[in-house]
Amino acid sequence: MPAVDVGPVEDFPLGEIRPAKLNGRGIAVVRNDNAVYAVRDTCPHQGAKLTLGTLTGEPVYCGPGNIEFRRFGQVLKCPWHGWDYSLADGTAIGGNRTTRIRAYRARIENGRVLVETD
Amino acid sequence: MAIAPEVRPAGTREQPAAINLVDTDVHNYIGGSRVLLEYLPERWIHYLEHTGFDSPPRDFYPRYYQHAARRDSFPPSGIPGSDPQFAAEQLLDGYGIDIGILNCLYPAYKLFNIDMANALIRAANDWQIDKWLDADPRWRASILVNARDPQFSAEEIRRCARHPGYVQVLMLARNHAPLGKREFWPIYEAAQDCGLPIGVHFGGGHDVPITSSGWPSYYIEDHTGMAQSFQSQVLSLVCEGVFVEYPKTKVVLIEGGFAWMPPLMWRLDKNWKGLRGEVPWLTKPPSDYIREHIRCSTQPMEEPEDPRHLAQIIDMLGSDEFLLFATDYPHWDFDSPERALPSVIGDDLREKIFSKNALKIYDFARG
Repeated sequence: MPAVDVGPVEDFPLGEIRPAKLNGRGIAVVRNDNAVYAVRDTCPHQGAKLTLGTLTGEPVYCGPGNIEFRRFGQVLKCPWHGWDYSLADGTAIGGNRTTRIRAYRARIENGRVLVETD
Repeated sequence: MAIAPEVRPAGTREQPAAINLVDTDVHNYIGGSRVLLEYLPERWIHYLEHTGFDSPPRDFYPRYYQHAARRDSFPPSGIPGSDPQFAAEQLLDGYGIDIGILNCLYPAYKLFNIDMANALIRAANDWQIDKWLDADPRWRASILVNARDPQFSAEEIRRCARHPGYVQVLMLARNHAPLGKREFWPIYEAAQDCGLPIGVHFGGGHDVPITSSGWPSYYIEDHTGMAQSFQSQVLSLVCEGVFVEYPKTKVVLIEGGFAWMPPLMWRLDKNWKGLRGEVPWLTKPPSDYIREHIRCSTQPMEEPEDPRHLAQIIDMLGSDEFLLFATDYPHWDFDSPERALPSVIGDDLREKIFSKNALKIYDFARG
């Protein structure tokens, strides 16, 4: 799978959302622990730049008064309407059945972040 | 620069050569009441400084993001909506908006000291002229009033209406009493005399429960349930006879949605057939008054899963002049002019929603 070098790993600090270019198109890159994620930098709802969003998790109801967050740091929240997307596959989190963002496979090799295109 | 007590004489307001996009709901924010010191009489300057008063109470619920704002709307300094130049660049330049109508939600009306509330509201109106209307000819603004003091409000409307940048009177959907009540009629009389529509905006409600059955727990209920208040205000304005007494009055419901309007009209028309003896001043079906006198802003746009249902709802409104485009900048539930209207809305209606309908309600060339 062809991959594009989007920069040195130091440009993508752990737990932060950073912009990059993939063949001229804006993407959001997030590095968490041993994984690195890359998704399109545009929310399909109303066009907000997702790099201005926040990292969050998936709230799971565990009984009255009890909510736990799972996959914390692996969910990207839109900076406008707050729609949540899984960084792993771009699917929307929680009841949003028709929307997803484009997710790209990404990896780290030799201190560089590589994002696959197809 | 202090402007009170007399607003500077009106001149002809500069108007863009063509108005193709009007944003009927933009929010400008007063960072804190100290910003208003230069517009306040000596008594209130002393009072604010002595008491350390910063701002009237604002929210019962955390509003999702800080200041309920888009995360990209923070200017280099200050809170979202506090920097006229930044807002003009991000919103007006960014989306090609020709006119943006400012609805300042400064909550001085929540103060129980009515003299203090009135002084702060008057100062806020002068601040708007000084910092916003005079900063960019694309801004227009709504006159803040105090619904608890309709006489003061009427005076303030007549005072501020001398400035051509003011194009609307601003009231709130959650009020201590339904807005059609006669106690509020001085406001409608003044607005009609000055040729200004009444904007009724999302919000208000601090001393009465914000739903018809008490206080909800969550912001999602607060936000979604606002439509209840708008429905109450439509019923009151129509049934109390405001549009009969003040036939030139126009009311713009801002940020309340509109999909609920057709069934409300059906229900009201049906009941009027039997109960009209209670309100004999209504000589035609209530929905006729609604279509003639009331408009709705689009944001937050109704988003049914099947967009064709939206087109059907708009058709059920029975008027293609009913909707006015709004973004609600800088709030988190911002509607982008580029994305908010789905493709099922045809070019002709789109043009009306984006500008033509607003041009029929607002006089942007007041002078």
